[in-house]
Amino acid sequence: MACGLVASNLNLKPGECLRVRGEVAPDAKSFVLNLGKDNNHLCLHFNPRFNAHGDTNTIVCNSKDGGAWGAEHREPAFPFQPGSVAEICVSFDQTDLTIKLPDGHEFKFPNRLNLEAINYLAADGDFKIKCVAFE
Amino acid sequence: MSVKFEITNMDMKLGKTLKLKGKIADDIDGFAINLGQGADELALHFNPRFNESTIVCNSREGGNWGREQRDSHMCFSQGSEVKLSVTFQTDEFKVTLPDGYELTFPNRVGHSHLSYLYVRGLHISSFKVD
Repeated sequence: MACGLVASNLNLKPGECLRVRGEVAPDAKSFVLNLGKDNNHLCLHFNPRFNAHGDTNTIVCNSKDGGAWGAEHREPAFPFQPGSVAEICVSFDQTDLTIKLPDGHEFKFPNRLNLEAINYLAADGDFKIKCVAFE
Repeated sequence: MSVKFEITNMDMKLGKTLKLKGKIADDIDGFAINLGQGADELALHFNPRFNESTIVCNSREGGNWGREQRDSHMCFSQGSEVKLSVTFQTDEFKVTLPDGYELTFPNRVGHSHLSYLYVRGLHISSFKVD
């Protein structure tokens, strides 16, 4: 997967919402949004898989602490389509991250790292970020 | 939202416009928006300075600053909300200021692709490339 945009020093605080909008490639297999402190400390690895690693139309989430992956969480909702524009909103508090998908469906992923701020955002794979907003 | 903000691996091609929204920090002498390939390779350094009431633009190659271009159209103030757009063209950058004034700076380095954005002194609330 091609390495995408990396943003640092975001200083996103609990209660604030990060909104990311981008284009899913027409032949998309998979894409990733990573959020956390840095590349080795991710409170959220968000990986929609259209057709990758044996998964079809599944969102795989995980965390990474000191370079070590945690337990995977699979979310059955999959409101993504190749060749379309998608918007994802993420907010967090001490216990959970809340992820809002393009169709409005929300789910939670535990804030395992207990980060007080999200400073790092990286995109990877078949998704091109066009717009990022902090609210 | 931090007073420093950095993006790498951006994919901004010729003809594209970067739109930034944010709030200028309260207690600073100025703010800066840098675009280029990295901290030492800047096609555009856009730096409004409150203490000099001037907008300074420059480029940087191999860590060496080029010749400054100064514009006295200083329409920024500390603590205010601003919207800026930067259009990347073959021959020049066109920066549209919040009051509609357009400032241009030559594309000296001649790159056709920008991958690096650094913002200092501005609490970014959104950025967009299209």
